[in-house]
Amino acid sequence: MRASAGALAPSTYAALARTALALIALIALIALGALIAVHPAVADSAPAVATAVAPAASGAAPGGAPGDAVDAYGQLRNPGLETRYEHITAQLRCLVCQNESIADSNVELASDLRRQVREMLIAGRSDADIFKFMTDRYGEFVRFSPPLEAKTLLIWGAPFIMLLIGAVIILRVVRERARQPLDDTPAAGASGSP
Amino acid sequence: MWKFILPVAAFVGLAVLFAFGLNPNRDIHAIPSPLIGKPAPLFKLTDVSDPGRIVNNAELKGQVYVLNVWGTWCVACRQEQQDLLAIAQQHVVPIIGLDYMDERARAQQWLKQLGNPYDAVAFDTDGRTAIDWGVYGAPETFLVDGSGRVIYKFISPLTQEVWSHEFLPRIETARRGGA
Repeated sequence: MRASAGALAPSTYAALARTALALIALIALIALGALIAVHPAVADSAPAVATAVAPAASGAAPGGAPGDAVDAYGQLRNPGLETRYEHITAQLRCLVCQNESIADSNVELASDLRRQVREMLIAGRSDADIFKFMTDRYGEFVRFSPPLEAKTLLIWGAPFIMLLIGAVIILRVVRERARQPLDDTPAAGASGSP
Repeated sequence: MWKFILPVAAFVGLAVLFAFGLNPNRDIHAIPSPLIGKPAPLFKLTDVSDPGRIVNNAELKGQVYVLNVWGTWCVACRQEQQDLLAIAQQHVVPIIGLDYMDERARAQQWLKQLGNPYDAVAFDTDGRTAIDWGVYGAPETFLVDGSGRVIYKFISPLTQEVWSHEFLPRIETARRGGA
């Protein structure tokens, strides 16, 4: 009778294992969803609608000269463009102070690159064009989140690989324990007590 | 069996990772240039000493040349200048300067004071040429071959040692390949 309340029957271990696996699957699903939502390829697709509108919108601005597209504070007058501008500059690394984005950095190079982004937006270029312009010159390192492609599969897949390894370990431990005799079986008690 | 292999494999894996990751000779701020092997971006800029003169790197096509990015605000460039002058004395290849984020008067003063190792210095007023070349600091030195392709980039002050170990062999190869 002693300690029997703390011990679990093998069937309970199996149930625990199933619950743990279900939990892991749920976490994996949520993580996958989050990753897809955060991924630049997907995040870019929303402003892509604005891309189509941008040239027409900037053309509709009175005068249409580049100077008119920017207000006195250097902000783009077109709110769609300004949103894309903020998104893009936050995604580009300032190479002088490598952990800051060009949106945050006060370095002269960052302000030159911000000007470049602004000009390309006013010229009606797409987000993909702008990112390509930057990576052609500064390499993939200039982007904070690497694009999902063959050579970056390991980076994007690493969390799932880790999750899988964790799941395998849990599964093995739980199965092993389910096979082991319970602590308060007579044999264990007889050999273990002083 | 696995109980033995797994820890050993993990140890070897970590050792290799650390050997690469913690190598003291590796400059973690040096970013590999995507420009290597690509056509050198073209520029037409005024000469820093003579605003009436145009420095056009398209005219250098057919010969190997060096592009050295500098600025008077750059302390490391001052350190580099002596070596650059010695390298220029060898007359191996034309050395073109790209004066970046600078003021013309200051740059002229600098060249007068410290000596001028350059065959021409392009004055990049608004930093656009530097962006095209993927410059993010100074000094940076590029090597361009006869077909107009960037074949090497060196970040940090150029020394005569780096020149003879990294640049001269590449210039030699480029010339043999280009001939």
